[in-house]
Amino acid sequence: MGWEEVQVRGYSEFVRTAQSYHGRPIFALFCGDKDAEGKSWCPDCVTAEPIVRKELHNLPDESVFIYCLVGDRAYWKDPNNEFRRNLKLTGVPTLLKYGTPQKLVEEECFKAELVRMLFTED
Amino acid sequence: SVQAHKEEDNPQKTMEVNGLTPVPHSYDYDLIVIGGGSGGLAAAKEAAKYEKKVMVLDFVTPTPQGSSWGLGGTCVNVGCIPKKLMHQAALLGQALQDSRNFGWQFTEEVKHNWMTMTESVQNYIGSLNWGYRVALRDKKVTYENAYGEFVGPHTIKATNKKGIEKLYTAERFIIATGERPRYLGIPGDKEYCLSSDDLFSLPYCPGKTLVVGASYVALECAGFLAGLGLDVTVMVRSILLRGFDQDMANRIGEYMKEHGVNFIREFVPIKVEQVEEGTPGILKVTAKSTTGDQMIEGEYNTVLLAIGRDPCTRKIGLDKVGVNINEKTGKIPVNDEEQTNVPYIYAIGDILQDKLELTPVAIQAGRLLVHRLYGGATTKCDYVNVPTTVFTPLEYGACGYSEETAVEKFGEANIEVYHSHFWPLEWTVPSRDNNKCYAKIICNIQDNERVIGFHVLGPNAGEVTQGFAAAIKCGLTKEQLDNTVGIHPVCAEV
Repeated sequence: MGWEEVQVRGYSEFVRTAQSYHGRPIFALFCGDKDAEGKSWCPDCVTAEPIVRKELHNLPDESVFIYCLVGDRAYWKDPNNEFRRNLKLTGVPTLLKYGTPQKLVEEECFKAELVRMLFTED
Repeated sequence: SVQAHKEEDNPQKTMEVNGLTPVPHSYDYDLIVIGGGSGGLAAAKEAAKYEKKVMVLDFVTPTPQGSSWGLGGTCVNVGCIPKKLMHQAALLGQALQDSRNFGWQFTEEVKHNWMTMTESVQNYIGSLNWGYRVALRDKKVTYENAYGEFVGPHTIKATNKKGIEKLYTAERFIIATGERPRYLGIPGDKEYCLSSDDLFSLPYCPGKTLVVGASYVALECAGFLAGLGLDVTVMVRSILLRGFDQDMANRIGEYMKEHGVNFIREFVPIKVEQVEEGTPGILKVTAKSTTGDQMIEGEYNTVLLAIGRDPCTRKIGLDKVGVNINEKTGKIPVNDEEQTNVPYIYAIGDILQDKLELTPVAIQAGRLLVHRLYGGATTKCDYVNVPTTVFTPLEYGACGYSEETAVEKFGEANIEVYHSHFWPLEWTVPSRDNNKCYAKIICNIQDNERVIGFHVLGPNAGEVTQGFAAAIKCGLTKEQLDNTVGIHPVCAEV
């Protein structure tokens, strides 16, 4: 079995989904919400998403890729939002391997080499 | 002699050691660094800035207990970083006690949870391991988690954990393989004892611990374990902190003794047996006196060996390329440009003979070496007046000569020692010791009373010492020191 993608919105849905896949490698990309035309308020997320998607085929078998919209800009700017408080996210986009200290933040997500390293190496 | 070592490091010149191994004329890499620790990574990143093609090989042979770790070397994984964090954990315990005197009220008894601390420390270390991998990849430095060893001129073999071997060639090499803890060579040592390589990731509280050794590793570990509330005993063969100012070493020992660490002096373990399995279990240690026939026994949950560290130079094929090592110690002698007797092979860090074993020294040596190799620089690493700090419960910062070494070098009549006890203001209210903190400077009378040694025993010794190290490097004299107005109220004003 290859890998699968799940799309979620908001902190509670993210945590519930991650827990439901406990035992499998979980990768998550956190981005700002998208408007009616499908464009995110976060310009770096707009840049990063296609680069990350292009590397998804490198994901190990059995992995789960969670694409998570964090909320609107105001929610994200709040220094006490749950993503910042509980997941220790410092910026969007953030691409991480759940349950490990391995993550790429903001411009690091623009680099295909780094994304590939995150997906394929221990 | 230095001249004999300064052979030409000429990339065009071929070197055939025994005529059998073909010598490549174009290499896979400009530089291969063996060892991804403080020195190795600093050198590799610096070389990448000069657009050189660089490879780093890093591999951790698991300890007898099975512990291993990621990229970054000793300091990051099983040295300075986790040590300072656990030392801080112990200091916070003390601060909690002091806080009552400053008005903080809490009724519950404060206890320490080893697992919580260790998990947090390991998470931080994990983020550092990852950070180094991102940094290397970003700078286009090739990193392989593989064991590197020389197999012929300009050629190494890299073996990964699956046993797969690959050969690589390079114009130049830097050996930065560091050291690993030494074992006693007695029955039961590898089966039952831990070393610092195991302690910082131990998945259970070590409990009642016997620390064998009197190095700074031994005393720092004993110090924070006791500070976390554990029953700790230190078994010392002869003196404490060999190589350090002995007056300061004894003060550190006295402080630790008065604050709950037991010391067994002039004994060495001869046998470790398991009484009960478990995490932790119970071990029985038999020890013999160094001054007579007396034997003693003791039972502990954990035995931590901290009797010294040995360079990782014996199994990396140095004989295949003719690199000389000190057969007795395993250390590599280099000239003042970190070059071994083989012109295209350099070495930095803890493995060097007669050099200080400190992270910042390895980093500085690595960077300057690369600047000389690829940047046309000539600056050499200055190993003189390097400051250091021992993070025992009462911290000790030093820069320059110990009193003994100063007397030996300059003669007792030519040096003047100025000293003082001090009582940190923060210690007054909670009634902590008023006669333990201590500072001294050693001056060279014949050279304008130049400060040639600085020693301080007290809280935040590292922070205090750093500034004085800069002053000493500038040639600080006693008069200049006297003319410097103190900051009040801080310990450093003394």
